[in-house]
Amino acid sequence: MRLRTQTAYAFLTPYLLVFLAFWIWPIANSFWLSFLNTRSANWTFNPRVTWGRLLVDPAFANALWNTLIILVIQVPIMIALATVLATLLNSSMLKARGLFRFAFFAPVVVGEVAYAAVFRLMFNHEFGIINKMLAVASVPAIPWLSSPNAAMAVIIIAVTWRWAGYNAIIILAGLQSIPEDVYEAATLDGVSKTRQFFFITLPLLRPVIVLCVVISVIGTMQLFSEPFLITNRGGPGQATETLGLFLYRQAFGAFNFGYASAIAYTIAALAIVISLINLWLGRERE
Amino acid sequence: MAGISLKKVVKRFGVYEIIHGADLEVADGEFVVFVGPSGCGKSTLLRMIAGLETISDGTVSIGGRIVNDIEPADRGVAMVFQSYALYPHMTVEQNLSFGLRMTGHDKADVARRVKRSADTLRISELLKRKPRQLSGGQRQRVAIGRAIMREPQLFLFDEPLSNLDAELRVQMRVELARLHKELGVTMIYVTHDQTEAMTLADRIVVLNAGNIEQIGAPLDLYDDPANRFVAGFVGSPKMNFMAGRIVETNNGAAIVELVNHRGARLRKPAVDAPAVGSDVVIGVRPEHFFNAGEGDCDITIKADVAEHLGSVSYVYANAGREELIIEREASRQRANGDHLTVALRADRSLLFDKTGARVR
Repeated sequence: MRLRTQTAYAFLTPYLLVFLAFWIWPIANSFWLSFLNTRSANWTFNPRVTWGRLLVDPAFANALWNTLIILVIQVPIMIALATVLATLLNSSMLKARGLFRFAFFAPVVVGEVAYAAVFRLMFNHEFGIINKMLAVASVPAIPWLSSPNAAMAVIIIAVTWRWAGYNAIIILAGLQSIPEDVYEAATLDGVSKTRQFFFITLPLLRPVIVLCVVISVIGTMQLFSEPFLITNRGGPGQATETLGLFLYRQAFGAFNFGYASAIAYTIAALAIVISLINLWLGRERE
Repeated sequence: MAGISLKKVVKRFGVYEIIHGADLEVADGEFVVFVGPSGCGKSTLLRMIAGLETISDGTVSIGGRIVNDIEPADRGVAMVFQSYALYPHMTVEQNLSFGLRMTGHDKADVARRVKRSADTLRISELLKRKPRQLSGGQRQRVAIGRAIMREPQLFLFDEPLSNLDAELRVQMRVELARLHKELGVTMIYVTHDQTEAMTLADRIVVLNAGNIEQIGAPLDLYDDPANRFVAGFVGSPKMNFMAGRIVETNNGAAIVELVNHRGARLRKPAVDAPAVGSDVVIGVRPEHFFNAGEGDCDITIKADVAEHLGSVSYVYANAGREELIIEREASRQRANGDHLTVALRADRSLLFDKTGARVR
């Protein structure tokens, strides 16, 4: 090996050791763990109680169902909202753009525990501001955190509130990369602003929107904080238990690390598959 | 088809005035080129005609109709942008037809126009391709084709060739001239390249710092510029400017001493010559230096560099603080600081006062 290459590796070694110990090893080890029965005194090879159980466990099916429901409802709503926000942020008529941009991005910076506490208060059945506002509009109070469907709605609203602005900033960057003269050409062609949005802006934003969808899919597949903190560990019952929460419960509640590893690999595999489908659907067609 | 009339057109961005009251009449079918250095306001003026910029003051009329408050799409204009402004996600065919499809034109009519436009611009083979699969020249053709689709009364070109390489630019220039002949439509063309202006224009409008300096046929501007700016801007290589001083005036003529040329004196006929002692400038085009003794006054310069282009040679010389470019017969001789004596002729030189205005 040439001296220069050796020196480079020497400098890289400390990082590579850390990478090996805290990245590669856990990933490889958890894969091995996913085949072991970790509930016996001696961990034995028994994929039936890990991978096999995934197929028959109603609690896993419930968590998977909840996660997919959130994914299917929340991601499209959030991306649509983010696109609208980005378009408004990009408007030349908007004053104090920097302030709005910060305001939309701020939820990402806010601590999860703090925002979860605020959401719990806002959606409190008796004295939450949401029910108070509904009362003003003569809508009966909704038991947000104790009704399964309403609790699911709270999770979706919370996640959307937290991440819509973040996605809007990414989409805004995409919008700003579309050259102004393309719109000017369309204006001279007599194409209305609405049609310009649907026939020029949206198609040109497609790569950015696909990116946002993929990031959001990965995020939602790992969703943990909101159901843990807002709906009190996936409540009511297991109505808002997501795959991430289910994994946590199996690993650190039941100490069933083998099963938890199998769940972790399932989450990763699902995220990859759904993202690939998105990339394929959003590909540039020749 | 339509003529255009600009009356006292002003453009302000906030407190800054960019165009200071432009007046211009363009005849139906004319090819007019706006030329000037960057930042002179030529593109802004074009965009005001297109309706992409508001008009702060004055009026713009197209075909006799004041269009100040008329939407860009309703002005009967089509524009070709410097960056082509093609829709990147659409094929050439879709790019051509997009505007008409979106405004509810009859499908058969759109197809007919696509065919005609593609035939005119010779892009029929490219119809199924996307812009990124095209070369710069092909993209520019598509952009022009898209402009033709609307069958406009007026074509506007905003530096359409400046992104092309030199060879392609010449080729496209010829095609544009052909297109103008074929369509016979009024065209306004913005460029900072005075060669494009000279070769394409029926008339050139020279702009500088938001003012129209002169309007005229290319060779009129070349032979008879109104001021020093136009004289320096039109023509390549540039006109030479030599510092001078009026030492005597008599019988409708001024005797100008060339201060950087050891008192060489040139007698210039001038009806309204500046007073004796005034600083003036003598302008001489590179090709208007003659052999020693064959003009009205000789100057001797030291040749620094010679460029041999085959058909002619250009000698670069320094005299005092003046850079001179002198065209000579083709040669292969290197310039090694040799002294060279050349002659000026009064009828082949121009006189400017110290403000840059022409003294005739």
